[in-house]
Amino acid sequence: MKLKKILIIIPAYNEEKALPRLIAELKALPLPLDLLVVNDGSKDNTAEAARQAGAWVADLPCNLGIGGAMQTGFKYAWQEGYDVAAQVDGDGQHNPEDLLKVLEPVLREKLDLSIGSRFLSDKGGFKSTFTRRLGISFFSTLLSALTGLPVSDPTSGFRAVSKKLAGRFAEYYPVDFPEPEAIMIAHRTGSKIGEVPVSMRKRLGGISSIRYWKTVYYMLKVTLAILIDRLKKKG
Amino acid sequence: MNAKTFAILSALLLFMLIVNRIREQKMTFKFSLVWLVFSASVVFFAVFDGLLAHLAKLAGFELPSNFIFFLFLVLSVLINLSLTLYINEQTTRTESLTQDQGILRLKIEQLQKKLDDLKR
Repeated sequence: MKLKKILIIIPAYNEEKALPRLIAELKALPLPLDLLVVNDGSKDNTAEAARQAGAWVADLPCNLGIGGAMQTGFKYAWQEGYDVAAQVDGDGQHNPEDLLKVLEPVLREKLDLSIGSRFLSDKGGFKSTFTRRLGISFFSTLLSALTGLPVSDPTSGFRAVSKKLAGRFAEYYPVDFPEPEAIMIAHRTGSKIGEVPVSMRKRLGGISSIRYWKTVYYMLKVTLAILIDRLKKKG
Repeated sequence: MNAKTFAILSALLLFMLIVNRIREQKMTFKFSLVWLVFSASVVFFAVFDGLLAHLAKLAGFELPSNFIFFLFLVLSVLINLSLTLYINEQTTRTESLTQDQGILRLKIEQLQKKLDDLKR
């Protein structure tokens, strides 16, 4: 088997504290990975911290949000001919130890979109606010109904995508809260989607971008976006 | 001053304002066109107000003034919609440029590093 080129995309906004440890952990994994930190117009020294830790940095001159940052990574992966592109959030919530589990189905060409789910492992460990959990179960039900696949953790950003799907995402990727909608796009374009159990950690630094009543706004907006995606042409 | 002269004068004022913007190169022809046509047609219908009354009757409006309000509303909505579409397109382009700039800077950095390694 030819060695596959793997790109790890790390979207980061003001994550100078969390990045060095995360990058060190990723570099220690027994697999040749290229690390790309997409610095989404941070106000701190995210870019410098990432460079010093030994990752490549794509420095965006202004803040595009997580969707725009991820699309940057997918564009780069597509242009450079990577076989697999994976997302690991810059805040350190995604445990690098589980990365290989997320990558494996895509490396074996079993899946085009492999999603790390917090709810499949019996270890548990994931605690969140009530509204957050309510939102996750709502999208889980909605997406499972629309795609006919069991999607237990639709908002998880811990994912790996195949070359084909990375090319799709390079062309179009949702902007604000992209994870659930990206599943719809993958489904619409005939991609194989599946989940693997992962555990998540406490964020190493920074604050969540989704809080309080914003959750309600987030839910309405993403629901609409998912429904609108159904109107788009297939393929 | 009667309504007719007032309408003509305000339309002419708008027309001159736009022409001036074009002269100062603050507005390109592409964007001024819709406003020039708009102010020209206000002048036209103010002069030939009989025609306007006739058109209003044809469209089923009792009062020409209601017809005018209706036309303005439709026009405003259309201009708003086209501006939204335009902003949307611009945002997509800016985003794309931002991403490409980030990637290009990275590629320069990678080339530079290769060059430095070769020199060593």
